Amino acid sequence: MGKDPARTTDLVNKKRVESEFLRNKLKLKSLEAKQSLFGAYPHVEKYLAEKGLDLSKLREHSAKVITTGALTGTLLFAPPMMVKDLPSPKEIVKSIADWETASPEAPQKLLLDSLKEVLPAGTRPLDRSQEKTLEQIFDRVVGVKTKAALEGEHLNTTYGYIGAEQHLMRYPGDTMKTHPKVAQDDEGMAPGRGAWGYFAPSKTQLSDNLVETEKWYAVVQTLYLPDWSRRQPYLRDWYKYRKVLIVNTTNGNAVVAAVADSGPAAFTGKSFGGSPEVMNYLGGPRYKKGPVVVFFVDDPENRVKLGPVDYNNVNIPGVALTQV
Amino acid sequence: MSKLFFDHLISLDEVAAEIKKSAKTTEEREEMWSLIDEIITHKALDVILGRLERHHHEEFLEIFHKCPHDEVIIFGFLKEKVGENIEEILKQELGGVAFDLLKEIKGPR
Repeated sequence: MGKDPARTTDLVNKKRVESEFLRNKLKLKSLEAKQSLFGAYPHVEKYLAEKGLDLSKLREHSAKVITTGALTGTLLFAPPMMVKDLPSPKEIVKSIADWETASPEAPQKLLLDSLKEVLPAGTRPLDRSQEKTLEQIFDRVVGVKTKAALEGEHLNTTYGYIGAEQHLMRYPGDTMKTHPKVAQDDEGMAPGRGAWGYFAPSKTQLSDNLVETEKWYAVVQTLYLPDWSRRQPYLRDWYKYRKVLIVNTTNGNAVVAAVADSGPAAFTGKSFGGSPEVMNYLGGPRYKKGPVVVFFVDDPENRVKLGPVDYNNVNIPGVALTQV
Repeated sequence: MSKLFFDHLISLDEVAAEIKKSAKTTEEREEMWSLIDEIITHKALDVILGRLERHHHEEFLEIFHKCPHDEVIIFGFLKEKVGENIEEILKQELGGVAFDLLKEIKGPR
């Protein structure tokens, strides 16, 4: 009996081919752009080589410069006047104590007023003093112990824009047919897996805990951390499902989420991402992008639950708790 | 935050969304993001250096190396040496690159 004829065409993964094709196209375009620049300006190539600055790693270089500036408190971004006008952390914490006594029924307003005092006009990395003040505010007003720098780890920024992400595949074969959805304007499921792969190897191994982890997941830009590639696999493990407190600085809504994917791309102007459930809680069904503060949850005994932080049930006029 | 001084001039949300659809793995996705960044950065420098007189190139590169994120400092320097409309010129040029990229990515494969 003869063998089946050799066949290859129907074994080719169409998506793989498409992604390879796209990568190659981008590689080619990148090479063209590089040749155009260095062909016209060879002295620029020489200068960059002398400085050890690789343009393909410019974002990491930028993150390093920004982090160093924030650490040394030079506030590269802020004119001196802004620093001068900021109330001291002590003053802010004192005003929180006064507020707690005077109006214990409106912590949301208290949080928003305090954020207004501490945060700069536009999103940008905060200095250590601002972060320390916010840690105290979150502890006293929201009731969650947080750290901007936990166990020596710090995100490139703790104040930036968050964007809407899609649901993640929890196990092989997971689809939106069975995946929980948000009631309105659901984003659907991401075509690929999260940066840490499937949450469980199969549906039967998906614990309630992992269901919650996917439901309340956050995306942070681990890929741009200046030491991300150098400190593997430690950082990858450290960030996996790391709990973060996300505070919408426009309306004060707060949610505890678990880091489960890397991104978004810096060229989108966003620094964080949130699952459909996270975004829905932070700002309602139409909330796709907005400014937030993101701190690590300081929870060594793993007691803080993922999901909304219901520190306030009182909506203040003009700034609804669940709508921006 | 990983910020470059021209980030506010270009919007690539659609490009990012298309890459997300195409990439099979996180590594592939991040590699493609990095390639897009390289294309845009090279183009931005190309446009700027083409309009900046040769004897100002080194000074610009020094500033760019020290604070690649700082649009106030970099555009402050460029406006003084090239002219007030440099930001608008760069915006238009980068807009063209973004349009081409999206066409390439969405085009027939």
